[in-house]
Amino acid sequence: MAAQSATPLLKVEGLKQYFKVNKNFTVKAVDDVSFEIYPGETYGLVGESGSGKSTIGRSIIRLYDPTAGKITFDGQDISGRLSHAQNNTLRTQMQMIFQDPMASLNPRKKVEDIIGEGLDIHHMYKTQDERREKVEKILEKVGLAPEHAERYPHQFSGGQRQRVGIARALIMNPKLIIADECISALDVSIQAQVVNLMKDIQQETGTAYLFIAHDLSMVKYISDRIGVLHLGHLLETGTTEEIFADPIHPYTRSLLSAIPLPNPVVEKRRVAETYDYATSGIDYSKGTSHLVSGSHYVKCTDEEFAKWCK
Amino acid sequence: MPDTKREQVLSVRDLDITFKTTAGPVHAIRGVNIDLYKGETVALVGESGSGKSVTMKAAMGILAQNAKVNSGSIQFSYHHADGSPETVDLLQKDKKWIRRHINGKRIAMVFQDPMTSLDPTMTIGKQIMEGMLWHFKMPKAEAYQKALKLLEEVGITDAEKRMKSYPHQLSGGMRQRVVIAIALSCDPDLLICDEPTTALDVTIQAKILELIRSIQKERGISVIYITHDLGVVAKVADYVDVMYAGKIVETGTIDEIFYDPRHPYTWGLLSAMPDLDTADERLYTIPGSPPNLLHEKAGDAFAPRNKYALEIDDEIDPPMFKISDTHFAATWLLDPRAPKVEMPPELKDRVARMSAEAKKIEEAE
Repeated sequence: MAAQSATPLLKVEGLKQYFKVNKNFTVKAVDDVSFEIYPGETYGLVGESGSGKSTIGRSIIRLYDPTAGKITFDGQDISGRLSHAQNNTLRTQMQMIFQDPMASLNPRKKVEDIIGEGLDIHHMYKTQDERREKVEKILEKVGLAPEHAERYPHQFSGGQRQRVGIARALIMNPKLIIADECISALDVSIQAQVVNLMKDIQQETGTAYLFIAHDLSMVKYISDRIGVLHLGHLLETGTTEEIFADPIHPYTRSLLSAIPLPNPVVEKRRVAETYDYATSGIDYSKGTSHLVSGSHYVKCTDEEFAKWCK
Repeated sequence: MPDTKREQVLSVRDLDITFKTTAGPVHAIRGVNIDLYKGETVALVGESGSGKSVTMKAAMGILAQNAKVNSGSIQFSYHHADGSPETVDLLQKDKKWIRRHINGKRIAMVFQDPMTSLDPTMTIGKQIMEGMLWHFKMPKAEAYQKALKLLEEVGITDAEKRMKSYPHQLSGGMRQRVVIAIALSCDPDLLICDEPTTALDVTIQAKILELIRSIQKERGISVIYITHDLGVVAKVADYVDVMYAGKIVETGTIDEIFYDPRHPYTWGLLSAMPDLDTADERLYTIPGSPPNLLHEKAGDAFAPRNKYALEIDDEIDPPMFKISDTHFAATWLLDPRAPKVEMPPELKDRVARMSAEAKKIEEAE
């Protein structure tokens, strides 16, 4: 969708996020990850639990202080200490949608106040009427009725709650929304509704998404480009077509082969490819980035690259 | 499909359950029929709140306190240790009897979240042995040996060491394997899997499903899957029951449901599955959300979300129409007087593509 020549909205270079557990042990949750997100596109991060996808999202929005690496957002370096002005732009221009809508919405606040909280903090309205109008406009955009503003989160169904979460992120008019497993807790039919809504909003407002998920089939629907993450390393990245048509890394291949297909005859005969890092003989930390074609990169050693590309 | 004499294991008839809540009675199950034969797999499919889990909890005698069974029967057939057959109506038995003779011993259940279904204060080994010690008064040494064998069977390496581990020391996939080992410890005739892989990653999900399937083949047990993921259903099931608002709206063999769906709700579910083969920009969605069973509605509960709904749908609940000996669907569209309605063209395309693919594979074999 987005032209590759445009300047990236978000540029992550060599991001490392370590957590020190004790004197002798440090968890390397994210190890040397680099990728770019262009304005108006969707970048999907996939990987199993514990692969560091959520950590990346949280480091970018600065819920954590990155151990090393450079994050450039909209031309500004946001990986070091943030000035007050930088903090303000970051908190308005970048928003997050969380996995569990029940846990991420304050049960004691009305939807109007949940959505309007960002407006309050950044003084983005002059009168109460203006605030109300803004909230109602956003509610309409995410497919909720104005009277929903008076309700509390527990009065909504799961899909509606996630819409409130999306509305809260949208009201600041962000350039980038980090969606952290935002559909994993929803029913299949509701998942489709939320994904469609996110796509519509993107077309209307030109927001970029960092879409974090473990469900590859949904990621395929929404993403323009995909990054595959395992044990904190970004193993493979490229456009959605490149990854799905020609997966190079054995881990990517095992992920793709594990997607259940709604076709009983095919599915019953298929056995998912196994991939075990411990016995595969691959050392992620030795790998370097290899270009496959176009924007399709794989992280591996030269010998591995030659072997997999045959 | 084996057409030799099939031995019925479970037969649920006209099950009807209401929950008493402070807001009023919730009619959660409205006349459910399920049949299950030995060695076969039935999948119960539906959105959350459609009553899939409640149906199976009724069979286990673990319904919540405020549940009231209005009518129906759940016939369960099993063999005694000496080989004599026995059929009981589980709804007529008291909780104590079910605990003693059914739960864990003849019907075992695998729950969604392995972290909450394992006891965090007990070692894995102890939890696997618990059922055998209690149900069969097995000597401890013998139970230990069997637990070891079970752990190996479910694919846990280093079984001896793992027997002493606590649940928090294992990963999510390992925990679910342990739960399956516990469920299998007393050689049950029926295994109920309630969303066994929803809390797990795709890669581990595939492994767990393959594990359950291979164990089922080996032991010849029957399995009921409760799930909302049609991809999982396609992988494991022989028969599918599609549930909506406490009723089964379509039932049939797996091929009938996937290659020849008749109920608009099944169409919606199938269309909502992301399709890897097309580059469609939008996903199909079923409009609206599942109904609140607190407010009962005359006629078909699915009608408000159904764009093919007829006038009669608002007045009379459709009966089950027969399509073939195994395939039934509850929609007025199948009535001979109804207008001819076809499934949406995108789905038709997709079904055609799927069956072509399936035929190619079957011919290749």
